[in-house]
Amino acid sequence: MPDFSPDDAAFERLAESERESSAQSAPSRLKARVFSALQLAQAGSGPLRSVSETMRDGRKLCVFEDLVRIAPIGERIKSWNPCRVCHARILGEAFENPPVFWPNCPYVMFKGPKRS
Amino acid sequence: MRSRGNLPDPATLLTRMVGQQATRPALLADDLKLVEDVLRKDRKATAEFVETYAGAVYAYLRRRLPPRQDLVEDLVQEVFLAAWRSLSQFRGSASLRVWLLGIARHKVEDFYRDRLRQPESYDEDAHRESDAELVMDGHMEGTELEQRVQAILAELPQPYSLVLLWRYWEKRSAREMAAQTGRTEKAIERLLARAREQFKKRWNDA
Repeated sequence: MPDFSPDDAAFERLAESERESSAQSAPSRLKARVFSALQLAQAGSGPLRSVSETMRDGRKLCVFEDLVRIAPIGERIKSWNPCRVCHARILGEAFENPPVFWPNCPYVMFKGPKRS
Repeated sequence: MRSRGNLPDPATLLTRMVGQQATRPALLADDLKLVEDVLRKDRKATAEFVETYAGAVYAYLRRRLPPRQDLVEDLVQEVFLAAWRSLSQFRGSASLRVWLLGIARHKVEDFYRDRLRQPESYDEDAHRESDAELVMDGHMEGTELEQRVQAILAELPQPYSLVLLWRYWEKRSAREMAAQTGRTEKAIERLLARAREQFKKRWNDA
């Protein structure tokens, strides 16, 4: 039996038309889960970049990261991942469009543009 | 020079093309900067990495896997974790998007290979493909078409949906599939014939 079927063209058209129509947005819950998993993987091989260094690079911190940054604790602690104990992460991983709203939080960013 | 219909005029097209060529190095520089920051374990860069590329990876995997949300999401996560493990090898010869989708493609092929390795019992009557054609409705397109295709793939036994996805969405020949699964080319062709038959039956009956 040859690797050719009279239906090849029709199936190929189906595959092509699906390719053209597919949307490109992932669920916010999935993005949250992937981000959390990446942070765990990163932390597994040593400390994360400290919140102080992140801010010096011009990136904006959320309110909790900023608290960690200004706290009188060592840089080693500032490299710890505060998202691990934050309810934004829990809500972000559990719900689509979670009820979290503070600026510069990745789990808020994953929700996408504000809906009117 | 006037444009024809909805197409911009040639001068505008040329300007756009030149602009795209000029911005391509800038886009790759952005990719390299992002990769550098993710490798430094900057949490904001990592969030930006996920936000920017999760959609493309998700859409790619959704089109190539059985329509099971948990399966697709697990594989999206696997793609990003694999990307993290090999991110230091990214050199910018292609865009970060293309590089990530390359990882996704490998994951998809691993999935197909693992599930199509199992032998099947061969039914002589079942392998004959009927003369019935796939009746395409010219008015159906976009999301409606995608949903119908996904619904039928979900109904098929998994080996059938996977072999169709691998053949027509991933554009692999029966020979390539046979080489990856350890099955004979004839066995793959028989499986494809049965899969096409079952898909056509459901498509034309709907």
